[in-house]
Amino acid sequence: MKLQWRLAALRNGFQDATAYRVEFIFEFLGSAFVPAAIQWVLWYALFKIGGASEVAGMTYVDLVHYTLMSLLFSQVRGGDHDFELSEMIRSGQLSNYLLRPVGVVEFVYIRGVAPRIFIAGICLILGVILGQLFGLSGPRMIGAMFLALLGNIIHYQVGATLATTAFLWEESYSILMVKNMVVNLLSGELIPLNLFPPSLQWLWKSTPFYLYVFGPTQYALGHWSHTEFLMQIAISMLWILFGWGLIRLSWDLGMKRYLSLGG
Amino acid sequence: MNPTRYLEVYKIQFKNNFVREAVYRTNFLTAVTVDLIWMGVEISLFSVLYANTSTIGGWSREQVYFFLGVFFSSDALFTTLFQRNFWNFSDLVNKGELDILLTKPIHPLFLALSRSMNLTALFNVLLGFVISSRYATSAGFAGGWHWLEWCGWLIFGLYAALQIRFLFSIWIFWTDRSWALSRLYYQFFAFATKPDTIYPRTIRYLILTALPFGFIGSVPARALLYGLKTEEFLAALGVLMAFTAINVFLWKTGLRRYQSASS
Repeated sequence: MKLQWRLAALRNGFQDATAYRVEFIFEFLGSAFVPAAIQWVLWYALFKIGGASEVAGMTYVDLVHYTLMSLLFSQVRGGDHDFELSEMIRSGQLSNYLLRPVGVVEFVYIRGVAPRIFIAGICLILGVILGQLFGLSGPRMIGAMFLALLGNIIHYQVGATLATTAFLWEESYSILMVKNMVVNLLSGELIPLNLFPPSLQWLWKSTPFYLYVFGPTQYALGHWSHTEFLMQIAISMLWILFGWGLIRLSWDLGMKRYLSLGG
Repeated sequence: MNPTRYLEVYKIQFKNNFVREAVYRTNFLTAVTVDLIWMGVEISLFSVLYANTSTIGGWSREQVYFFLGVFFSSDALFTTLFQRNFWNFSDLVNKGELDILLTKPIHPLFLALSRSMNLTALFNVLLGFVISSRYATSAGFAGGWHWLEWCGWLIFGLYAALQIRFLFSIWIFWTDRSWALSRLYYQFFAFATKPDTIYPRTIRYLILTALPFGFIGSVPARALLYGLKTEEFLAALGVLMAFTAINVFLWKTGLRRYQSASS
């Protein structure tokens, strides 16, 4: 039974996301290629127009490789299912889910992650094929994608915890938007995090966001050793454990305030 | 067409929106916070890049910050006046809500694009101005009466954003859902967040012609800092006129296709 509802939620989520196939493809292509083009343009401006030969120890080719590789992992990190939780609390729809014999936070996650898993599969295949062309290791690619999927879980846990502010202030949309903007910068999706000046490196190192895109990219490109990778997996697990605790705490507290009146 | 009547209607719309915003006061704080973080992320991105280089595409740090000020103001003005109307645009057509606008003795498009305003965002117009003025002198902006020119270019940017957004929204007459195109607009919008001089020739040509996102902030900032050649200015006007003509044609053709609810 436990596995059955999870599989059903996964199937339901996938069907929901792909019901409008053209939109699904638009979304996938748009979110992949435009940010990559923007990144590439920055490197172009720095190196080709500005004439720089190295930036923070990275050459033009290094940065282009980073952009291409990070493109694959930034597709996996997303998902707006934390917004769905927030809306459920605000509108009172949460009550419908509380009647079901499933954990609402997990249910929403599984349904929302379905298209991401599909995209992760495509990205993994693309990554392995491109990796062969550029002399990158296939097993490293698989490991990196695994880390990116762990990052996806952490991302949702952070979002699900922040969504509980809707129990207090009715809406948490703005907080979730702010979280996404910060993640954009600190996950390594916009620029490699080693471009941060040394005095600001602590900024990204003290959050789990670098595990979403920067970490997997570093490992896939061979910039992290296997030992470093395993250490980062362990760190991810600790963040997941911490996130699980945060969800339990924030939802227990939130449910005590929940009135199911809608808004 | 009686301009006084349009002005009168606009005044009423403004008043209604003001009353609504005054009711949701906390919305003001959250919306301003979100925009502040967004501005912070954009500024941080350039700060990190400028920590590694002194110019990007020939633009100094101060010039880019001046550009960001212009861009933030221009975008905030669009958000204030039009953004919500575009979010509701698909409902107008899909749910047949356009019917009621068609029966009014005033142009339906005027009503469709002026019904909802986000007056909170006016604060961000001011913030953009503060950023621009903070870096104006060091960026090489002449100041003085040229601030009037700054306002003029802001309106130019607003008009460009309106035309581009309209072109991405009008397809609702032909498609079931338009959110993928809206998302695509925001993906491409990222091109507006960087000065056009940093782009390679092809992309630069594109964002100054077919997808003129460069007109929102980049061309105005460049005009204010360096001035535009007459042929550049005429080309920009030509592009905007072409966009206007295409949009008017599509609106008229779309209206002929419109079949009220569920069209």
